Amino acid sequence: MIDLEAARYLWHPIAASSDLVPRHVFHAQILGRELALWRADDDNVNAWENRCLHRGVRLSIGINDGTELLCQYHGWRYANRTAGCTYIPAHPADAPARTICNNTYPAMEQYGLVWSGESPEGPLPVLSTVDTSFFTPLRAVTVNATSQDLLLPLIQGYTTRLPASDDNRPRYGADTPDAFTIILRVADRSQTGSTPVADIAFFLQPVDAGRTTIRGILCGIDEHNTDAQTLNDLLRFHNRLLCTIRDRLESTLADAPSPAPWIPIIAAVSENQASLPAMSDTGNSTPLRIRVASIDSLSPTVRHFRFEPLDDLPESQLPTAQPGAHIDVQLPNGLVRQYSLINGPGETDHYAIAVKREAASRGGSQALHEQLRVGDLLASSVPRNNFTLRRDAEHTHLIAGGIGLTPLLAMARALHHMGRPYTLHHFAAQDTELLFQSELQAMSGEYLCHVGLTPSQTAATMAELLATPDAHQHLYLCGPAPMLQCARDTAAACQWPEHTVHFEYFSNPEARDDSSAFEVDLARSGLSLNVPAGQSLLSVLRENGVTLPSSCEQGACGTCRVTVLDGTPDHQDVYLSESEKARGDCLMSCVSRARSQKLTLDL
Amino acid sequence: MITLYDYELSGNCYKIRLLLSMLGIRHEKHAIEFYPAAEHRKEAFLAINPLGELPVLQDGELTLRDSQAILVYLASEYDTSGNWYPLQDPRTLATVTQWLCFANAITASAGGARLADGFFHPLDADACRSEAHRLFRVLDEHLWFQERERQDWVATTASPSIADIACFPYIMLSEEGGISRIDYPAIRRWTDRVKRIPGFIPMPGVFPAGPGL
Repeated sequence: MIDLEAARYLWHPIAASSDLVPRHVFHAQILGRELALWRADDDNVNAWENRCLHRGVRLSIGINDGTELLCQYHGWRYANRTAGCTYIPAHPADAPARTICNNTYPAMEQYGLVWSGESPEGPLPVLSTVDTSFFTPLRAVTVNATSQDLLLPLIQGYTTRLPASDDNRPRYGADTPDAFTIILRVADRSQTGSTPVADIAFFLQPVDAGRTTIRGILCGIDEHNTDAQTLNDLLRFHNRLLCTIRDRLESTLADAPSPAPWIPIIAAVSENQASLPAMSDTGNSTPLRIRVASIDSLSPTVRHFRFEPLDDLPESQLPTAQPGAHIDVQLPNGLVRQYSLINGPGETDHYAIAVKREAASRGGSQALHEQLRVGDLLASSVPRNNFTLRRDAEHTHLIAGGIGLTPLLAMARALHHMGRPYTLHHFAAQDTELLFQSELQAMSGEYLCHVGLTPSQTAATMAELLATPDAHQHLYLCGPAPMLQCARDTAAACQWPEHTVHFEYFSNPEARDDSSAFEVDLARSGLSLNVPAGQSLLSVLRENGVTLPSSCEQGACGTCRVTVLDGTPDHQDVYLSESEKARGDCLMSCVSRARSQKLTLDL
Repeated sequence: MITLYDYELSGNCYKIRLLLSMLGIRHEKHAIEFYPAAEHRKEAFLAINPLGELPVLQDGELTLRDSQAILVYLASEYDTSGNWYPLQDPRTLATVTQWLCFANAITASAGGARLADGFFHPLDADACRSEAHRLFRVLDEHLWFQERERQDWVATTASPSIADIACFPYIMLSEEGGISRIDYPAIRRWTDRVKRIPGFIPMPGVFPAGPGL
């Protein structure tokens, strides 16, 4: 019996690097556990539990689109690297919960092979006694036998001389540094003639209880300086020999009972995934630690910041985001500010934001532009998405004003990659505010710039753009408040159905009135609280131990939404649509208050 | 007009639907219920094909049975490129024919296991499975070395031939007969390539591939 427990902590080869061709999903198995193994377009190799979190269908029959893996059954999309779900077609308007994240396994490429394992510790097998200048993987041969059954026949197949006089194969000496590795060194190089001979390392991949894959590599053959025919002959020779060893062993084992299968334990979700993030006193908690990896100028006033995790340990992996998501960044001066992520699909090794230096900065953009240096450490929140992108629209219209391009850029990148039709309109005061122009021009969607328009010209253009409403097309709007208001008013006047108009404000332009005092009943907690004039509902809740997430705390982002069970809210936010406000079944607890004397909340 | 006597769940009928679609040939389908009605054994169908087997293709006066024969006919008659069945090149033509015969062996083994498991035919499913694995090993080895020589297809053709179409359905449906393809990575990559041939259509149990690079 192999020591199954010990084998869990080893690296095992599970494929050849050349097996992972672009846009393919390799079906791998190690110690009974199936893996969906795929190479993204950025060359990252993903080794995932081979089952969709939704209905358990194998992801190895899924679609590798270069940035995400799609399940064939209901189209759930999982991001490169994090395996976090980014989109559920049956719930097109919602961002998937962060807990929908598949199990991932470490993967690395070495000796022309892909290595993985359940929880590998320590180094790969070291090839100290062979020529390590070049590696040429042999064709992998899977044998219906255990690795112990295979070990001796494999060595004998290579070391035993045949009685025939024409047996001029090289003579090998064998060494087995561990139970899964065999090193064959050419003992006598004198008789080999013109055929190149090479030391061979064999790694036995324990696939499952009764199956083992022989993964061999020829050591030290420079493929570029070897005639292709010679190399092919050599590969065919070894393949024949391995198949002969396989066939002989399988026939001797034909009557042996098959061993009990190894049943891998599939962990539900990791503990830090399953537990909800702790809420801090301030509500906009910033539990992630990120490092400023690069700062680039995009224009005289806009800088691009790239944030990376502190190290490449799995636990430092940045949580998955979707187009439209933002993060709260805690700045060196103590301020917490929200920035939309502009990452394209599959770009999961960093967060990217673009920030305009505002002349009337309240301290946020100024701190980012003036104080931040490459290498600085920052705290950020996990990504939140209250501006989610549907991917099922017949056409998507993205209308950006100035730096409001940022969330729409992430959306355009996703739609472009999925081949969905979209149009991007960028309204800007001057040419220098047009960002990412060459990328946007090269993308599949229509890209139109409207520069230097007066408010009335903007209104006229908007009226033209939105003249023909369509219930199967969607509008996404982001920009400065006047432009956003103009776009929303025009869409309403043109009778775009409200559910097709999505918008995100930078900040709440309205003056807030907190002069009212009211009572709240918390239905779940059984508390009755008084909200005095001059204090927000959110802060009263917090003072009484009822914490809920928040982000912008000015009624723009939608994070602190609370369900209203009874009473009439006094909405002061710019997140909810007019009909949502009229329904009165929810409110933004950071700014909104009550028209009735009492509100009953679902808290 | 071409008429195909067709059963949706038959891999042999699927071959014909695939090639008709890839060559863009207009046709109509006449559904014959293989299971459970066994219409292929009824008088009306036996008058068309006394063997009682699907598919059958009618093109004008011509009535043709046997999926491989139909593929040969469609490619020879309707493919203007001459690539699908390279009549002008005897050596290549022979390799195509060799793999057409191999496809028959796949139908008998992998297809047989699926018939036994899914359609309750009195066949020895275990024997079918072990024969299918023997064939898959041969094909996987062949395709692995083909890949090394930058050959994408089963026969030594520069573009897909009817040999690829003939082998594809019962390989792709093998799991319905309890035959996993996990040990055949070169076959799995080749099935992606077949799915990316323009005009490819799926069938129940066969999923489409995403776009290639």
